[in-house]
Amino acid sequence: MNAEQRDTLLRAMLEELVGKGYGEASVERASEAAGVSAAEFEAEFDDMDDCLFAAYDFLTERVVAKASADCDQAAPWPARVRAGLESLLQAVASYPEMARALTRAFPGIRPAAYERYVGLLSRFVPFMREGREYSGVDEELPGEVELLAVGAAEAIIFGEVDAGRAERLPQMMPEILFSILVPFMGPERAADEMRSAAMSI
Amino acid sequence: MVSTGNDVLATSDRDRILQAMADCCAEFGYLETTVETVLERAGVEAESFESLFAGKEDCALAALNKIVSETLAQISMAQVNGEDAIGRRKFEGKAILELMAARPSFVRLGLVSARQCGTPHMHDAYESAARVLALMMERLAGSTERPGATARAAFGGAEAVIRRELAAGRGSRLPQLLPDFVYAVLVPFVGQGEALRQAKLAARVTAEEE
Repeated sequence: MNAEQRDTLLRAMLEELVGKGYGEASVERASEAAGVSAAEFEAEFDDMDDCLFAAYDFLTERVVAKASADCDQAAPWPARVRAGLESLLQAVASYPEMARALTRAFPGIRPAAYERYVGLLSRFVPFMREGREYSGVDEELPGEVELLAVGAAEAIIFGEVDAGRAERLPQMMPEILFSILVPFMGPERAADEMRSAAMSI
Repeated sequence: MVSTGNDVLATSDRDRILQAMADCCAEFGYLETTVETVLERAGVEAESFESLFAGKEDCALAALNKIVSETLAQISMAQVNGEDAIGRRKFEGKAILELMAARPSFVRLGLVSARQCGTPHMHDAYESAARVLALMMERLAGSTERPGATARAAFGGAEAVIRRELAAGRGSRLPQLLPDFVYAVLVPFVGQGEALRQAKLAARVTAEEE
């Protein structure tokens, strides 16, 4: 199968997972949607799980790449976080089914799948490290502050996706931004950034 | 009411089943956990299960209720030593983290299976418990204006760290992370200086314990 067929197959497999559930998801339907034969599928993947894990990795790579690609590397860290967040929320709002695959349908399969989700959150941690330079206090911030910030944003995003309100997320960008920035910059400066972001919407 | 022998036996079976349900969900995930696996793990007969629970989901919900009740009991019994509302949080947090370290499978059932891997009823149970904890934090805000999801997000940050530790099999390490969690849940409401001061006090509380 060519690269385009592979991408289509991976997407179709995730759509199967979200639409039908793990027990009813069909390799045959996904393969048909991608124009892939059974032999081609078997040459590429061991089984449905192998394909689903590859699909999840494919999706998470795109999400992380999308969030980082729209950041102007010369901009100050809070502005880069805002740009990355804006881009991520737009993507989630545009593809709510894929967001559901990302947050719920795939991680729910089994613990090994859930570990991929934990791994996805960890991928955003390095983007947060520079936030320490924006601290309003001289003392060292707690060791886990980066994941605490990522998890704060995830809690809001997950809640909206899960409630079927992913389309609201771009409007919620300022308050999600506040939750990311507040452990690094404190509530007053994080609120300033939030207000500035709200004015841009 | 005086307990009879049968009552005691039923309670014991129930606890064994709930523990087995939590352990199986942690090991196989809720989706792949079956009543049969739970019974085998618990060493309990099917009749006993059927007399206590309507099915797998009912059993998982009972296990969730158990950990939520124990958490709320830990909070209410925390030794607060005359602290104010902000200072109390570190003692309550300590009590919660110690419970989590002692019950990693139940915590995983609540923060992982119920949240992302279980049924809508399980998810509702998770949401209700999370809302109660967020409301407790919002009381700290007083008249300070904060975005609506602030407390929930702060807990979300702590949950992400807890889930990572559980996934890595490091549940016993959770009490050591108390200073980080104290900082995370307080900083939006009291600012960095006071949150760091409370985190340091929390570190002292943790160290005294060790």
